[in-house]
Amino acid sequence: MAVSTTELKTRIIEALNLQDITPEQIEDDAPLFGTGLGLDSIDALELVVMMEKHYGIIIKGIEEGGPAFRSVRALADFIDARRASA
Amino acid sequence: MSRQPVITGLGVIASPGYGVETMWDAIASQRDGLKPLTLFPSPRYGPEPVGEVQLDLLQLGAPRSASRSDRLGWLAAREAIQSSGLNLADFGDRAGIVLGCSVGGSFDSERFLIKLIKEGKFRPRSTRYHECNMTANLIADSFGLFGPAMTVSTACSSGALAIANAAEMIQAGEADVMLAGGADSLSRMTWAGFHALLLVDGRGCRPFDGTRGGMSLGEGAAVLVLEAEDSARRRGAKILARLSGWGASCDAHHITAPHPEGAGAVAAMRTALARAGLDPSAIHYVNAHGTGTRDNDLAEAKALKALFGERVPPFSSTKRFFGHSLAASGAIEAVLCIEALRRQQLPPNPGFGEIDPAIGLEPVRELADARLTHVMSNSFGFGGNNAVLIFSTPDTTPHTRVAKVAPVNVTGLGVIGQGVVTMRDITAPLPAEQLLVRSCDPLPGAALLTPNQRRRLGRPHQMAVLAARASHTPVPDQRVAVAMGTGFGCLAEGAAFIENYVAKDEAEPMPARFPGSVHNAPAGQIAMDLGARGLNSAPTAGEITFECALWQAWRQLDAGEADVALAGAFDELQNYLLGIGQRWGVWTERTIPGEGAVVARLTVGEADCSALARVTSVRLGRYRRPFDSARELAWIADAVDLSAVGVFLSGARGYPVLDPLYDSVADEISRSVGRIIEHQTYKQLCGEFHAASAFGFSVAVRLANERQCGVLLYTLSARGGKALCLVQPVLRL
Repeated sequence: MAVSTTELKTRIIEALNLQDITPEQIEDDAPLFGTGLGLDSIDALELVVMMEKHYGIIIKGIEEGGPAFRSVRALADFIDARRASA
Repeated sequence: MSRQPVITGLGVIASPGYGVETMWDAIASQRDGLKPLTLFPSPRYGPEPVGEVQLDLLQLGAPRSASRSDRLGWLAAREAIQSSGLNLADFGDRAGIVLGCSVGGSFDSERFLIKLIKEGKFRPRSTRYHECNMTANLIADSFGLFGPAMTVSTACSSGALAIANAAEMIQAGEADVMLAGGADSLSRMTWAGFHALLLVDGRGCRPFDGTRGGMSLGEGAAVLVLEAEDSARRRGAKILARLSGWGASCDAHHITAPHPEGAGAVAAMRTALARAGLDPSAIHYVNAHGTGTRDNDLAEAKALKALFGERVPPFSSTKRFFGHSLAASGAIEAVLCIEALRRQQLPPNPGFGEIDPAIGLEPVRELADARLTHVMSNSFGFGGNNAVLIFSTPDTTPHTRVAKVAPVNVTGLGVIGQGVVTMRDITAPLPAEQLLVRSCDPLPGAALLTPNQRRRLGRPHQMAVLAARASHTPVPDQRVAVAMGTGFGCLAEGAAFIENYVAKDEAEPMPARFPGSVHNAPAGQIAMDLGARGLNSAPTAGEITFECALWQAWRQLDAGEADVALAGAFDELQNYLLGIGQRWGVWTERTIPGEGAVVARLTVGEADCSALARVTSVRLGRYRRPFDSARELAWIADAVDLSAVGVFLSGARGYPVLDPLYDSVADEISRSVGRIIEHQTYKQLCGEFHAASAFGFSVAVRLANERQCGVLLYTLSARGGKALCLVQPVLRL
């Protein structure tokens, strides 16, 4: 089953302790890094752990997960693709 | 009297083995120092290559009652002292130590958490050596050092910064001999931490190589004997090299990533060159930090090109010989640089195969003879913390820069402390108990933090940032140094990381907790918050931690390397600290655990009306056992004009064992000046914690103004350290 972007947003908020953000405030296609949420490379690593914890996906290098971190939709697609190939 | 720092002894222990000769053998024969990890099992990563010391440390003579880091440090110190031919008893109070340590006793105290989490057994014995300052204490006690003693804990730059601090002690005339270096053992914390950051290359580090994929951890220790040139000549010691320059800076950019252009690294190298009075073209070799991570090596290469232009001198990273031994690495590489100078040979860069087009530079591939006069050693750490050392051959003429020691003005003070007394539950998995504490919860002013600071920073980091902001408002182009000490560091961050590591058998690590757990993380947060790009240090020395920070900050002002220096200290209440203290009977209705963060803003020059007070003296040392109050009086009288002292402000009413010592010193001072000097204390206000004397300092500033007299802040540590600081009122017309 494809991962829902709403579920993913909740997980992101939890993993990154985004205290003042609600899932509705994050757009599916908006960039996660650089602008907007003000996330950085450590947050990317926290997302790597989040993917392991909730979706069983292990990423060994940050480049490997690179495209996944563009947006929530990209992350959802990445998780779906990985789970499909597993 | 020449107070130029020279090196008269060396000691080293690392993955290649024990001893300077063994180390150089490994280098000359290009022996790979990495081998599969055996020290502890790693279910997730397996026995990846590390620079492990696979020797029986006890058989080599290291003390039994000590952590692994302590033993490594002790062995390096023993070799250094022996090779220097020093009889330390001749030096008394004139010999001290500054050591860089970032792991401290973690490897040993991790066993406590494993036992607790896996078996539910509360066995805190292995945490006895947890503090990073224990190694320096052990060496000082073991070899009879009674001069200044402290530890620098700025992650991977600690060892280099410690050597720089030791040189400053000698230049300022506070010691004739200083042991200086670094010691760190492998630990599960650093192992899993760097893995969590995806910074480890499973194939072993390949610094500067085009296909490099990260670092390899290591462990070890190195100790240098630094000596005032006059002292060395007087006793006919062999001078191995000079420490001719040193410089420190902070990127103030990110907690783990270096500044992409290596801006802070360039600044630190320039400061070191200026101190040595050298042009970049005088440098014949650079021992690079070169961890092997994509970002570090690229940023460092850019920094080298920015500084040296087209003519980057021969350089190499020697990390594959030793692994990256964190706080020890700067010291090990310092020893290597001195040996390179002595042997007139360039150390190679094992692991390098092909050039990285983005870097466009090729390190030294093979051991080669070369004419070497001045060599540079780079060490960069978490928090964008940079330290650079320059060593020169003994026949060079040192660039003399007179270290003037002028009073400093206190022009700002930020205090998070004097928390309210509440009951706190020490909850499971500790024995559930209630304890009286002085807590700063909820943190006053937390709403002032940015959303990112609120969501990501631990309490000590938030306390530190708030205290620093209260003391100082940034002004563009002002050069600001930060020395923010801590006794126990960011315990909650480290404990959370290891609890998770143990409970989940290395799965689902906590990447943000690891860089947040280092002692210098709050100092780094202050730097980012205030744009402070000067020295960024985190000293640790038990109860005298704050005074060490004050001393470091002052030296930056003396040297003209900062316009403003922030000196402070912090410690936090944490459940394990409380629970273990409870088990050991430390906490009573009288000794109440506390927490807090205090930052003092310091400047030099004529005190204007904005100054809160002046600090006219700071001194560090170690007391003898049995405690001799007459000797202490002499030590104090040598540093301060006792006639200016109206109040004696001590760390009494904390640990009861120190109270009679404080009382005896107060009595000695009163007797000596022929009037009763009032003995005041502050721990009844802020509680007991290692950084409490920072709070004492804020009390001293207030008392000096109220009473219009000098206040002598005098602090003893239970482990033998002592410090004094004279705070005087600003004369107002």
